[in-house]
Amino acid sequence: MPVKVILCRCEDVTLADLEHAVSLGYTHIEEAKRYTGLGTGPCQGKECLVPTCLYLAKATGERPEEIRPFTARPPIAPVALGTLAGATGGGGEDQGGQAPRGKESAS
Amino acid sequence: MSPPSAPASPAPSDPSSSPTRTPDCAIDFEGQSVPAVAGEPVAVALFASEVRVLSRSIKYHRPRTFFCLSGHCGACLMRIDGQPNVKACRALCRPSLQVERQNAFPSVGFDVLEAADFFFPRGMDHHTMFTSPRPLNVLMQKVVRELGGLGKLPDQAPPTLPAGERLRVDVVIVGGGPAGLAAATAIRRARPTASVLLVDEADRVGGSLLSWPGAGPGDGLRSAQRLENEARQAGVELRTSATALAWYPEDEGGLLAIDDHGHLVRVRAQRYIYATGGYETNLLFGNNDRPGILAARAVGLLLSRYGVMAGRRPVIVGQGAYAEALAQALGRAGAEVTHVDGERVRAVAAHGNTWVRRLDVEEGGQTRRLRCDLVAVAATPAPATDLPRQHGAQVLLTPAGGGFACQVREDGQTESPGVYACGDVCGYRGPAAAQEDGERVGRAVAASL
Amino acid sequence: MSIGEERGPIAQGPVRAETDVLIVGGGIMGLALAYHLALRGTRDVVVLERSYLASGASGRNGGGIRMQWSTATNIQLMQESMELCKKFAGELGVNVWLRQGGYLFLATSDKERQRMERNVALQNENGVETRLLTPGEARGVVPELDVTDVTCACYNSRDGILFPWPFLWGYANQAAARGVEIHTFTGVEAIEPTGDGFLVRVAKSAGKGKGRETVKSTVKARRVINAAGAWSPEVARLVGIELPNHPHRHEILSTEPLKPFLTPMVSVLRSGLYFSQSMRGEIVTGITVPDKDTGRVEMGSRLVFLSTLAREIVRFVPRFAGVKVLRQWAGPYDVSPDGNPIVGEPPGLPGFYLCCGFVGHGFMMAPVVAKIYGEYLTGGPRHEIFDRWRLSRFAEGNLEAEEMIIG
Repeated sequence: MPVKVILCRCEDVTLADLEHAVSLGYTHIEEAKRYTGLGTGPCQGKECLVPTCLYLAKATGERPEEIRPFTARPPIAPVALGTLAGATGGGGEDQGGQAPRGKESAS
Repeated sequence: MSPPSAPASPAPSDPSSSPTRTPDCAIDFEGQSVPAVAGEPVAVALFASEVRVLSRSIKYHRPRTFFCLSGHCGACLMRIDGQPNVKACRALCRPSLQVERQNAFPSVGFDVLEAADFFFPRGMDHHTMFTSPRPLNVLMQKVVRELGGLGKLPDQAPPTLPAGERLRVDVVIVGGGPAGLAAATAIRRARPTASVLLVDEADRVGGSLLSWPGAGPGDGLRSAQRLENEARQAGVELRTSATALAWYPEDEGGLLAIDDHGHLVRVRAQRYIYATGGYETNLLFGNNDRPGILAARAVGLLLSRYGVMAGRRPVIVGQGAYAEALAQALGRAGAEVTHVDGERVRAVAAHGNTWVRRLDVEEGGQTRRLRCDLVAVAATPAPATDLPRQHGAQVLLTPAGGGFACQVREDGQTESPGVYACGDVCGYRGPAAAQEDGERVGRAVAASL
Repeated sequence: MSIGEERGPIAQGPVRAETDVLIVGGGIMGLALAYHLALRGTRDVVVLERSYLASGASGRNGGGIRMQWSTATNIQLMQESMELCKKFAGELGVNVWLRQGGYLFLATSDKERQRMERNVALQNENGVETRLLTPGEARGVVPELDVTDVTCACYNSRDGILFPWPFLWGYANQAAARGVEIHTFTGVEAIEPTGDGFLVRVAKSAGKGKGRETVKSTVKARRVINAAGAWSPEVARLVGIELPNHPHRHEILSTEPLKPFLTPMVSVLRSGLYFSQSMRGEIVTGITVPDKDTGRVEMGSRLVFLSTLAREIVRFVPRFAGVKVLRQWAGPYDVSPDGNPIVGEPPGLPGFYLCCGFVGHGFMMAPVVAKIYGEYLTGGPRHEIFDRWRLSRFAEGNLEAEEMIIG
């Protein structure tokens, strides 16, 4: 059985994959995320964010306090479209602003 | 299906440490009847019946089972009740619940697609593989498309869509661990008229206390029950299985979205307190994803909340009070425990096909082989800062605190006015410190109202 | 595939002091243009990206590529762009995961149906084999569809989807290999015309701790190309030009990965809803949501987007109700008044080139537009887009609107 060091379990990203991305110059956390796919699976980076950032700090020589996490995109836990679709009750519709200017929407 | 590894056995009936697990119903696991305790997680019932592999990983089809047992890691996704990619550690057992594994051919137990794991022994750069000649590239993309994805589309549409709810409260607290519960109680005691809502994603409050094993003052379950009782008596509204999803600054002047048993709740409050604790973290070593390598707190939860002994020959990797408490509890329950600190004695690689059988560790340049049937990883939990970050809190990468720690003032307030954080989300310090922190911040929030 | 030590496309040192062409914006448009210039022998090309590669609209779009448009120009251009995309992996050495599963548009009113019939006729005249389908036939393409509301559909099986990010890496790699300097985390602070070129003040965040040490310098450039997408009005203002295009937030989400089942990209005309299934199995979907116009690039996420989208998508595919959203994000459309781009030199400012206003379809158009633009700037033919899409058309009131704008 091949010995892999798994960094991101959700997307099967290995430590070697991250090392490779760094060797290509993708040393920013957002670049490393995009090149390797780490942090984009079902857990959205809850497991891999910290080890990745610590590795990048070591690889680039940046001090840990200068490293920022990648954007915490909503929702932080998966939510069913049905939950969102049925969710207008309880006092008032969703409020939006005005329609975009200068372009026809597709309707 | 299951390798002949040591069976998960019921924990001994020591009333001071663990409950006794007595199945009272059966779930349907791929046509087999599996005994379960109604209300326990599917992952626990399957584990207790020696179902070792719950899923196959997305690219390499490596065998997987749960790691964190707390809904955060995405390692135990199964098809449950006809819905794909459901966390088996969060889905609760009831009679005849349908549970199936996904993403394997012909079966999760024997998955020929695991060949991918051998074909790419270290990893892969899928961006540059097989880019030419064109027919090969086209063929490769067809194969990748067919192999992509995890679960299948739900079989059916639900008959109705759940209605939503809008709430306005004085204070909303996310996270019902020691920090959140203590904060909630402190606020109500100081301000009995203030409406305080506390939400927790688990099916009961208690947070990190629920996985804290041991007898006497360190008994986590008893502390959790006491804090819960105090909060209820103080008039806190507790909602469990209610997951805070996001802070939306632009909707309706800013709102917190919560998934409460599948219903969407939009909450607006005068004060927001994030007591979200920490996520289980793994260590980086070879085959660190092998089934049987579990977060230490998952092992503790199995033992002290669900009455399941996760292994007879566990290796605990890591330092700190929790690792020690777990080692003692497992030892008391009859396990042959090996405890290494993870630094001086470092994990190098795990072995075993569908369940861990050996952990190689290195000490001073020498490698030792530790036979085992369980590896409990006691790495410092990573502060769960996603929500406070969305809500304007600043964080600082603090390795000793487990990761990005929320930065707060003396009173617990973050960079964002009216937004507070307390407990392990501000850097891991354990349940006792979290409770103290929660009380202090709760009093400060009450005074600010 | 083996993984080893390699050098990437991003320049590590300071920005060079003098260059022939300076491209502002390291999105697909800027990088593809740099590649085509270098391919045709332009010696000195510098690309400046204010953030990381894929930080703007190029890294945030849904990856659709289609030939179903309402103007002959766009139909023809997109036929060529599709051919370029098919060859991309072989020529540039990076997979873009193009999958030609088709585009299925759904009409829900007679007005939309008439428009659809007109556009299909135009597409057929131009060699695109779009077919009008009955609601029942649409279900034949996507069996999970609920067609209760559908009056008519149109389908071109050769449209498709792709994965956006690798285009950037592919163009960046090949441009850098031909001598193009690509600087990330490098912004433009001032552009001063000097008669025979421009003095451009740039600020690069570099060294340890990105964003901590900013190195400022001045670059002398003979030509400057504004390929800054939704930020292009800001860049144009540096040389005193007010552009008519403006940023508009477009939100999008991705679901949990599902086993492959959905072949085409599906789009509902009435709402601007679209959804497709990526190579990784996720449903990638967006919809038109009203938004306030702040004049700035807004990239925040909103719940109103999720609920609006969820209601519409569950209406058309009821089984999606149980599918879970993994993440949402937003990217900036670069919206021009008539839905068409702005290219070429604005009057009175020789050497300053525009390549912006591509609304939400710049990504799919970039391969062909960059090729045409690269040929033009290296002495090749002047394509009709330089007339059709010139800036002065807005002042002249000579507009031909593109109506097949989604989202």
